[in-house]
Amino acid sequence: MSEPTSRIHDLGYKRYVGTRRPASTRWRVILRNQIAIAWKRWWRYKLSLFLSIVITFVAGAIMYFIGGRNMKMLIGDGTQLKIVDGVLPAVVQFYCSFPLFILSLTLGSMIIASDTQTGAFTFYYVRPVRARDYVLGKLAGYGLIVGSLIIIPLILLAGFRLAIGLDSVDQLVERLVIFPKVLAIGTLATLLYTTIPLAISSLMAKRSHAIAVWAAYYYIFGNICAAIGLTSTPFVAAFDIQTGLSAVTQQLFNVSRPIQKNGFNLELSGNVAALILIAQVIVAIGVIAYQVSRDQKSGVGASS
Amino acid sequence: MRPLIELDKLGKKYGPTVVALRDVTASIDGRIIGLLGPNGAGKSTLLKCLLGLIPHDGTAKVLGLASKTHGREIRDRVGYMPEQEALLGGVSAVELCTYAGELSGLPRTEAMQRAHAALYYAGLEDKRYQLVDGYSTGMKQRVKLAQALVHDPEILFLDEPTNGLDPKSRDEMLQLIQEMPDRRGCAIVLSTHLLPDVERVCDKAMIMHKGALRFVGTIDELRGVRGHVGELNVYVKTDAEKLAEALRGAGASCYVHSPVVLAVDLPPTASARTVFERAKQAGVQVRGVEVRRESVEAGFLRVLGEEERRP
Repeated sequence: MSEPTSRIHDLGYKRYVGTRRPASTRWRVILRNQIAIAWKRWWRYKLSLFLSIVITFVAGAIMYFIGGRNMKMLIGDGTQLKIVDGVLPAVVQFYCSFPLFILSLTLGSMIIASDTQTGAFTFYYVRPVRARDYVLGKLAGYGLIVGSLIIIPLILLAGFRLAIGLDSVDQLVERLVIFPKVLAIGTLATLLYTTIPLAISSLMAKRSHAIAVWAAYYYIFGNICAAIGLTSTPFVAAFDIQTGLSAVTQQLFNVSRPIQKNGFNLELSGNVAALILIAQVIVAIGVIAYQVSRDQKSGVGASS
Repeated sequence: MRPLIELDKLGKKYGPTVVALRDVTASIDGRIIGLLGPNGAGKSTLLKCLLGLIPHDGTAKVLGLASKTHGREIRDRVGYMPEQEALLGGVSAVELCTYAGELSGLPRTEAMQRAHAALYYAGLEDKRYQLVDGYSTGMKQRVKLAQALVHDPEILFLDEPTNGLDPKSRDEMLQLIQEMPDRRGCAIVLSTHLLPDVERVCDKAMIMHKGALRFVGTIDELRGVRGHVGELNVYVKTDAEKLAEALRGAGASCYVHSPVVLAVDLPPTASARTVFERAKQAGVQVRGVEVRRESVEAGFLRVLGEEERRP
């Protein structure tokens, strides 16, 4: 690559005399940049978005065919609605296992580790950006991306479910309760798949390490917890993100059958699972805040 | 007029034992100020204190703003070019500088316009849409300079800006730095180990050692403290060797640098008048006489040496 020439251009330089945006709004700049970075490469966000759209279409198609008049005549009204009602809780697992997990590998677990690796903390903190602006910008930016892959599809599917086999306005009002339920499970999943990968990312100095540790946390640690839960102490299984979310989903959607994993039945309360998952989210946010604040103090000008 | 930087008993300790800065008191002003000192002298800690990034004892003011209470306002008005790599991956130079401008409070359109202007200024006009990951060391230094300039700072802190540059790039970077106060109206604090860089571009210098400020003054003061009236550089129209012979006859020792310049050490009894008298006798036309001064390097080593000799 050729080196630049020594000409100096000013392009009619004039001192900036306009107002500057308030310092308290800088986190929004970080948020917007986070979304722009995610959109830039197909494998970062678009791949997961594609998978999410496919899952939504497949789930919608299943609901459409099972909810049709022919199927009603074939299997009866009660069974038909039971199957249709089962699609939404089942599909949550698919969103978590594919788009959300893949996104956490291609983007989430790399976000802060990447900044550590490239020395970007200096870039941020020599400007009027506080550690909390950075944390808020990254969390909100990545959270919106994660949320777009699960909350929006779940709301669409819930709307679709609302329309299937609808006979009266009373029935419509009765079924509206499905929206807070999908919002609750979607928000919980968004928080989990946003904060934990970012927390692991904040602990690592290299992108590759962050990806490996997050994958190990998700699969190895998760499966160990699930195994402990299945064999001796059920609540430990809620430390496995997928199992915990399953328990919460089943309780929210009144699914009575126990969670099945590797042929075992797990009796895990949805409330307990929700508490443990929320605790993980809080710890993850604490880890991010601590690490980022520490990096702010040590990062600038450290090597000079 | 308000000085750029005011320090009053500025102190910083890391843990109970490591003293990074001890009671630094100074009032610093100038166009391009060289911040010098060996490794561990406290330069980075001083910069962090000035930017309001770390808690400290005493007072540090930049542009009249106390760094303890107005850190963010200071960082809005100050640009910082770090020594280490501090760029974002996967973005072009324009995107990086626009983002830097927005983070410093500029509206998006203004930030983008100024990003282009700063990259032009830094000499990256035709490379500004390339990803910074693929840049050479020299180009990365230029991007770091552009991102520090983009929000139109009043002071620019440059940390080792010529590190890792080949002679041509180094020369170009120094030219940019030298012209910046006039073209951009900003003062510069240049932290460096390279004393020739300081000698070339700075008009003032601060020397730090073991957490204390050992010298603040002009480059001439740093070089000239030891200037002795009997140690001269003499510039002649021609035939310096002839004048040297004449002066040796008066007990001086001479070294001829070129046919037009010679260094003269006069004996204690002689003065500059002796040079003119001998030149007249020898028929050599004198164009100029100046007290010979130390190089910046010699001045720097002397300041550090004086510190070493302190009890």
